[in-house]
Amino acid sequence: MSHEHDHGHDFPPMSSVKRWFVTTNHKDIGILYTVTALFFLLLGGALAMLMRVQLWSPLWNVLGEGAYNQAVSAHGLLMVFWFISPFAFGFANYIIPLQIGADDLAFPRLNAMSYWAYLFSGLLFIVSFFQGGSFSGGWTMYAPLNVPTFMPNVGGTTVVLALIMFVAAVTMGSVNFLTTMYRMRAEGLRMRDLPMFSMSILLTVWMMLFAFAALLAALIILGADHVFGTTYFTSDGGTLLWTHLFWFFGHPEVYIVFFPALGIMAECFQTFTGQRLVGRKWFVLAMVLVALQSFVVWMHHMFLTGINLEIKTLFMVTTIGISLPFDLMVFSLIYTMIKGRIRFTTPFLFSLGALILFIVGGITGVFLGAVVLDYEFRGTYWVVAHFHYVMVGGATGLFAGIYYWFPKMTGRMYDEFLGKLHFATYFVGFNLLYFPMFVAWETPRRVFAYAPGLSSWHQVATVGGFILGLSFLVMFYNLFKSIATGEEVGDNPWEYSTTAEWAVSSPPPLENFPGVPSYEGGKLSFRDEHEAAADGGASTAADGGTADASTATGSGGVATGGGALATAESALASQATAEPEHADHASYWPVVVCFAGFLAFLGISGVRNGGFYYGLTAAGGVLAAVGFVGMAQESFHVPEPTVAEQWPFGGVENMKLGMWMFLGSDVVLFGGFIGSYLFLRVANGWQHWHHLIPEDHVVLPGLLNTYLLLTSSFAVVLALVAAHKRSRLGVVASLGLTWVLGVGFLANKAIEWLHLFHIHSEAFPNGWEVGTNVASSTFYLTTGLHGAHVIVGLIMILYMIPRAWKGAYLDDDSSLEYFGLYWHFVDIVWLFLFPLFYIL
Amino acid sequence: MARTKLYAGIYVVLFVLATVQALVEGVESIDYWTAFGIIIVLSFAKAIVVAAYYQHLRWEPRSVSYLMVGGLFVALALTTAAAYSIL
Repeated sequence: MSHEHDHGHDFPPMSSVKRWFVTTNHKDIGILYTVTALFFLLLGGALAMLMRVQLWSPLWNVLGEGAYNQAVSAHGLLMVFWFISPFAFGFANYIIPLQIGADDLAFPRLNAMSYWAYLFSGLLFIVSFFQGGSFSGGWTMYAPLNVPTFMPNVGGTTVVLALIMFVAAVTMGSVNFLTTMYRMRAEGLRMRDLPMFSMSILLTVWMMLFAFAALLAALIILGADHVFGTTYFTSDGGTLLWTHLFWFFGHPEVYIVFFPALGIMAECFQTFTGQRLVGRKWFVLAMVLVALQSFVVWMHHMFLTGINLEIKTLFMVTTIGISLPFDLMVFSLIYTMIKGRIRFTTPFLFSLGALILFIVGGITGVFLGAVVLDYEFRGTYWVVAHFHYVMVGGATGLFAGIYYWFPKMTGRMYDEFLGKLHFATYFVGFNLLYFPMFVAWETPRRVFAYAPGLSSWHQVATVGGFILGLSFLVMFYNLFKSIATGEEVGDNPWEYSTTAEWAVSSPPPLENFPGVPSYEGGKLSFRDEHEAAADGGASTAADGGTADASTATGSGGVATGGGALATAESALASQATAEPEHADHASYWPVVVCFAGFLAFLGISGVRNGGFYYGLTAAGGVLAAVGFVGMAQESFHVPEPTVAEQWPFGGVENMKLGMWMFLGSDVVLFGGFIGSYLFLRVANGWQHWHHLIPEDHVVLPGLLNTYLLLTSSFAVVLALVAAHKRSRLGVVASLGLTWVLGVGFLANKAIEWLHLFHIHSEAFPNGWEVGTNVASSTFYLTTGLHGAHVIVGLIMILYMIPRAWKGAYLDDDSSLEYFGLYWHFVDIVWLFLFPLFYIL
Repeated sequence: MARTKLYAGIYVVLFVLATVQALVEGVESIDYWTAFGIIIVLSFAKAIVVAAYYQHLRWEPRSVSYLMVGGLFVALALTTAAAYSIL
């Protein structure tokens, strides 16, 4: 394949096993994501088959209660987290840089880390089955079933930690995609002109950045309840707290799952009808609206809880409101079909199938958005059916993607007959499986006991489930066969495809393009690298003119996602270089670091049992330290594009923007912690809370720490000033002072905590420990999370001081600035923790 | 870009405001909720100053500020709506 013959990178060929462990190239990572996600599809599907066998008759007892609960929970978690989204991000990894005209993602090693963290988190989940049983509290993990009291198995804790590792992978991916899409677009490619799949991924990663941070807060708190004995989810208001945190993530997650499928559907509808998406501008606007609205509808999942009627009514309105933009999108797709001439290829059939399934799923979901109807339907198979029509409907769109891009990824065409056979069996099996659930809606969800009169519907569903499962045998056979013997395709096998990935060979070369991609002329063209670097792009070319962009394949035809206007958005991405730069594509540190994370999390899962688990935790910690130092020391070159569209982040270099994106996510993480504290205080009576705190918990230690952190922030700023003045000693001294102040902060905290642990007052005769009450839990965990951020900062300073001594930051102080962004953020968080936990 | 005096002045202001926050609690003539309001407003004021000047947000494209405000909005939406739901 053409991947293997690019430049002299000393990069193993695709046939080498080593390549797949060290690669950081976006196309390789995309393939790894796709294959791994399909593995988890099989695992989650096997669990679903077990459930359907159990449900054949209410009188059968094939699995038993415990195993059934684990199968239900693991099926849901694996499918939602480890299959659907990662499957979409397999395509995103492979296709997005090609569509936007980038050589790779902005941070290739971070991309590899994201994949390996995803894989190892999934392996951690699998290990949980062998630790006395996996998590058995349902995929929504409702409290208090999710705490050790009701789930004492180590495996339950392991799943929580696996989810934390998974969210870490998601956050790394979100930061990477956002930075790439805002900073590395081809010259002339405006944000509004992004192809539909790229647009859908852009909105998806925005939702992921914030929604998964809320889930991370929930999971860390849950992990603390498991490992440290905090009492968040068993205290007054704890069960409601979990539902708020979970569904604040959970509803955007529906769109996080569905949007990539929607993007693929839009691409396929355009390509296979030969018709530009009708109302494209409004379609995009509707997607933006849904992405925003997704954060203000979560309480419609909580109508049966004790939240007040006013808020239920408000969220019913917002929920009905979010269905409106979807109506527009559905009509846009339908009109695109009407106005175009349909080619019934396999990708189109799956796209059309996804649309039909989503319409059913959407309409049945509106029932659940109405408070009164939800009282009746909640907790029944109506929800199960609706949910699967939406989520698996989304997966249907993703299967369109695998057929659509299979020729691009492999250079060979799949077997069309087998593809259509797959679709037919899939669609029949799907509807046989899920539609009877609407009819048998009175079946209670999550348990296998149901009224015997409903068994015939469940038997139809079980038959449908097996047909659906078997349809994938056709798909796998087709794909395996076609990789080996499929007809070879050129650059573009689809007559009316218009996006940039079809302008390069199949599969594309390692660094994607034969020159610098540009849309300046209204069409995609490739400029000589030297020429592009020399003139900095035709950034001031005429405005106006809406020439349709089409790829340089000669196959052209319909428009892409819009014209390529030349505007002043263009900016020089980096200094022009005399010689073309070539990027590195291999590093084994990402897999080392993530394996270390796997060991550490596995150790933490059973750390309360001591012994072996302590050893695992320590081994993981040491290996992670080695990995991070190795990665920091490694020479790994990633050239920024010579010319790129960077609006609205022009002038904010990639690394800095990545740091800001990460901090944006961290705002929501700490927001989740502080919000949890405030929620529990309200639930327990705001001022009654004072009775839960010992007299010895005074303001002074907090005030002292505020002084220490503020001074350390000032010291970091002074380091930057010293670097500007080229004072090596000034930089070293300022960083040293910051480190000393940070250590002072931790020491002060340690003294305070030890004192509180060992107080012996009338109200707290056994001290004020982590699990004493909800006030102590929130105090230690929230300030502890902040303390962990301080420790990470101190480790960074330890790495920076020797480099500063060698004068590393005198010519380029950007690393100092990026560190400062982090350290000041930690300071800002404390500015809120201090009054909330010490004064009020 | 020698803004040393500006940075030093900001440090002094932040130091003083933190002290004021601690002192407000002890003033008996101020009721709890008034003190609460003053202390929280001061926290936001300090955070804005640190972000604007120490993190240099003031000199970055406005879109970076929007990014952070977006995160803050998300966190506040969760907190306020969740707390209101049980009032």
